[in-house]
Amino acid sequence: MKRALRLRPKGLEKGRPETKPTNDAERRQLMTAEGEVRGELRRLRARLPQVTGALAASADGLVLASETDEAKEAEHVAALTAAALGVALRLTEATGQGGFRELLIRGESGYVATYAAGPTAVLTLLAEPRINVGRLHLEARRSGARIGELIRGALERPALVPRKPNRPPSLAGP
Amino acid sequence: MANTETALKEATTAIEGAVGAALVDYTSGMALGTIGGGKDLDLNVAAAGNTDVVRAKVRTMELLGMQDEIEDILITLGTQYHLIRLLKGRNHSGLFLYLALDKQRANLAMARHQLKRIEADLEV
Repeated sequence: MKRALRLRPKGLEKGRPETKPTNDAERRQLMTAEGEVRGELRRLRARLPQVTGALAASADGLVLASETDEAKEAEHVAALTAAALGVALRLTEATGQGGFRELLIRGESGYVATYAAGPTAVLTLLAEPRINVGRLHLEARRSGARIGELIRGALERPALVPRKPNRPPSLAGP
Repeated sequence: MANTETALKEATTAIEGAVGAALVDYTSGMALGTIGGGKDLDLNVAAAGNTDVVRAKVRTMELLGMQDEIEDILITLGTQYHLIRLLKGRNHSGLFLYLALDKQRANLAMARHQLKRIEADLEV
């Protein structure tokens, strides 16, 4: 999937919150992909042993699946990812670089990397300082695209409870 | 002295049978420069993959307790030679030159000799 996260066009922001809060039905629908997404995260970690944690989250910070040592940590990282993503989206837009693709942060003792996973979600990875960043990019871009597909599949699946079709929580334009 | 771009251009024009070349930082696995390649040979994938090759060999030498250094690594395929040459010198540590050659057209001894000369001339 080549689509990248984009800020909502200015004109459409009026009368509508910038990131629409996910409602419960959408949440349930998104969570049906959890098993498959976790499988993808596990395979990614097996290919990259120096990745110490992996999670998929919606653009507004809801954990969709995680492969981290503690569940609490995943929630915290997903929330911070959403905040960083907000800034990253503004920065790419303000400098005319198009939609969001990835964000790489290097600390003294490791990396935090976030990749777009379709138009509504992101993949965030924690890695050791000695990781091969070239390979991290190659593997994570592929995984991000695959997770994007899985999430799209889950949203298109017929809902358990009949309801009006909802748009996914998206930062993309309509 | 040649910069990265000039050195890579030299590698693919002066060395007979060269199909692609890259200068790679093996602390990160990312290429500082690439030339040639194409859809059959993605040099960014090659850079990341061969970083693992170099790291494995460096680690093996450590485990063997060998107080020596790697000059180059040759990988022979059915139709190609892949040559990895680690850069020497204080300013160049952590870098390698990667050269893919067409086996039919290349002269391996000449290719190694020329790559050595290009390395000596390279200023990153």
